[in-house]
Amino acid sequence: MAEDLNWAIGGEAGDGIDSTGKIFAQALSRAGRHVFTSKDFASRIRGGYTAYKIRTSTDRVQSVVDRLDILVALTQRTIDENVDELHDGSVVIYDGERSWDAEIPEGVVGVDVPLKSLAEDAGGAIMRNVVALGAACEIASFSIENLDEALAKRFSSKGEKLVENNKQAARLGQEYVQEHYAEDIPEYSLEETDEDYVLLNGDEAIGMGAIAAGCRFYAGYPITPATDVMEYLTGRIDQYGGHVVQAEDELSAINMALGAARSGARAMTATSGPGIDLMTETFGLVATSETPLVICDVMRSGPSTGMPTKQEQGDLNMALYGGHGEVPRFVLAPTTIAECFHKTVEAFNLAEKYQLPVYLVSDLAMAVTEQTFRPEEFDMDEVEVERGNVVDEDDIDQYLDEQDRFQPHYDAADGVSPRAFPGTEGGAHMSTGLEHNELGRRTEDTEERVKQVDKRNRKVETAQREEAWDYREYGDADADTLVISWGSNEGAMVEAMEYLDDEGVDVRFISVPYIFPRPDLTDAVEAAEEVIVVECNEQGQFADLLERDTLTRLKRVNKYTGVRFKADELADDIKAELEAEVTA
Amino acid sequence: MSSEVRFTDFKSDKQPTWCPGCGDFGTMNGMMKALAETGNDPDNTFVCAGIGCSGKIGTYMHSYALHGVHGRALPVGTGVKLANPDLEVMVAGGDGDGYSIGAGHFIHAVRRNVDMTYVVMDNRIYGLTKGQASPTSREDFETSTTPEGPKQPPVNPLALALAAGGTFIAQSFSSDAQRHTEIVKRAVEHDGFGFVNVYSPCVTFNDVDTYDYFRDSIVDLDDEDHDPSDRDAAKEKILDADKEYQGVIYEDENSVPYSDLHGLDANMSEIPDGAPEDAMDLVREFY
Repeated sequence: MAEDLNWAIGGEAGDGIDSTGKIFAQALSRAGRHVFTSKDFASRIRGGYTAYKIRTSTDRVQSVVDRLDILVALTQRTIDENVDELHDGSVVIYDGERSWDAEIPEGVVGVDVPLKSLAEDAGGAIMRNVVALGAACEIASFSIENLDEALAKRFSSKGEKLVENNKQAARLGQEYVQEHYAEDIPEYSLEETDEDYVLLNGDEAIGMGAIAAGCRFYAGYPITPATDVMEYLTGRIDQYGGHVVQAEDELSAINMALGAARSGARAMTATSGPGIDLMTETFGLVATSETPLVICDVMRSGPSTGMPTKQEQGDLNMALYGGHGEVPRFVLAPTTIAECFHKTVEAFNLAEKYQLPVYLVSDLAMAVTEQTFRPEEFDMDEVEVERGNVVDEDDIDQYLDEQDRFQPHYDAADGVSPRAFPGTEGGAHMSTGLEHNELGRRTEDTEERVKQVDKRNRKVETAQREEAWDYREYGDADADTLVISWGSNEGAMVEAMEYLDDEGVDVRFISVPYIFPRPDLTDAVEAAEEVIVVECNEQGQFADLLERDTLTRLKRVNKYTGVRFKADELADDIKAELEAEVTA
Repeated sequence: MSSEVRFTDFKSDKQPTWCPGCGDFGTMNGMMKALAETGNDPDNTFVCAGIGCSGKIGTYMHSYALHGVHGRALPVGTGVKLANPDLEVMVAGGDGDGYSIGAGHFIHAVRRNVDMTYVVMDNRIYGLTKGQASPTSREDFETSTTPEGPKQPPVNPLALALAAGGTFIAQSFSSDAQRHTEIVKRAVEHDGFGFVNVYSPCVTFNDVDTYDYFRDSIVDLDDEDHDPSDRDAAKEKILDADKEYQGVIYEDENSVPYSDLHGLDANMSEIPDGAPEDAMDLVREFY
């Protein structure tokens, strides 16, 4: 694997950490390098430690690791928070003119750059982070011209002068390091390639997938880490005749989306755990009224308000079982940022083909992470829109009863009833959360009740038969050890396999993007000697499901610190779990 | 089709299970007449409701309809209307559904000013759960859950609507069929959120706010030379706790509905078979 570089900038919230990091990430991406970013942030607007980390390589990078090569520290806490990741030869860029005396750990190269003064020389103290970027370019032997385009993208709307000042600030940082630290800095060479990558996060990929799939109505209520979906769609969905409503609460949001879906629009809402709790009542109505709806849960650490800015995969049981009574729903969980796009498209198709709610379960680690992809990984020509059984004036006759009344819950053999969008002549009908007959009217008749419950479940049977509930597989299919994970752990696990390989541990890895329905992994589990399920929660919610499916006890690696798996750490955890068996 | 539509076309073949004499019969009849007389037909009409006696209305009317969860009918109606502006959307609620569990949605629906009609069947009691106090129950109204009365002032829905920036605020009495129909009709015709609070007596559980009480107390604003475009005059009527008014209390003639402000005129059910033609631009934005 090509050499990778780990860079970070840290300081207080409000210090412009995020935009500085994004500028550097874009510069690297435009230079044809792969980028994977991560963020440490607190649930507050100003103050509190925050950091933006970038891992970059000419090979694809898809995980964070326990190593920092260059750290721009705007505060002492930035150094303290990351001290374990610094190593001999790491470089810390800091501003010695500031009031704190930077304590540089032993073996780490301190590069004291008067960020503020140089920024003022370039036209304003506010550009001190950009001075640091220039210094970082010099230290990493990364051509500073690469920054120019990213700076232009960020600042051109504010005038050409500002762009020029920022370019100048970067160069002052670069020159300062050249003049004062030429001897001290380690050798890096950030090779450039001819690739043109795009750089985006999971929430943006979901929003993009929604527009591509023909979603035209979005209602939501701001919540970390799902808000980026709404912010992405705002202003963009309008160009396609759609609309975003910021509702008064999550209850309203899901009901608006339900209303739009009943009008025939492809509609979506996105929220995080606490918001799903509020939506759960209406979720039952969506399912019982057989309304196609995509409900996106960008998981964060729970329960209750939990840790809003931290990672967890703790909502799986809620997505699967949330709500009173029994209603079918599909649960999709993309495993990569690119798959956030593809699974969103698929979620809309499945929702409409089977007329039920689809949970699209993502998580904070994907939502706030930016990663590079080839643009063709988001191939719009491959997007197909399947609207399912929609009837118009001409074919409505076959679904009318003897009194010419349309039957929206017609007891079809495959469980999928016809849909008549409002405005369709002869299709007027009622839908309700009450148990109902084929006409949609309330009933407590035992036969009708059983008929409708069975009909709703038959849709699932049809889908299980007709759709490919597949998975992605890595490594040696005959390996003794099988690792299974769901959601965003895929990238870390793929990289962990390289570490394990170095240690002589041969692993087959299965990454599952479907929670319900899900692929049958019985054969794979039976074929392996050791099976470990990896997930970011304490209880092992997915492991529980697989144990039930396969009637086999499975080992588990669970992390619930609020931080995603790092590739090297995950490899160690898996090795430890395997060794635990040997000594037991 | 609309010229031939009669109000009975909006009737379903299902017999209402409301108690004999319930005010909701008259309220619903007025809604159906208003829809027919404003040129709508069942195929372009969407009726939504929440829970309670009022929630049953979608079953008794013939149109596209959704009977939803408690208190959330207004957001549903909002989604229906924004996604297809060609539809006539009518939302029904009760005083519990609309002013208690749905109070938050009510205020925001009013200020959002989506072009739809909201009819609240206000009987000042919880009927379907058999006689508990509602948000509009009188302070001293004795019920199974308030044996000495709620000891809190009733909600004034008209005042809430005015404070939230309502553009059409009206009140009617279900038993005064002609006036009620006429008022709902004006709400339908209003460009924006047409709100009508309807005195719709509960003959089973409310022996205070009865037909006789309303017949005796109601003051028709048409007899008072009330100018609905005068917001101050409307405020005065609305805050007059001693009178039960019927009529259009306030109408903003310059009301611009939400869809107009946001340039929404497309039927969102019509989408291409694949991604939009220029969809790769969405990707390139991330270069």
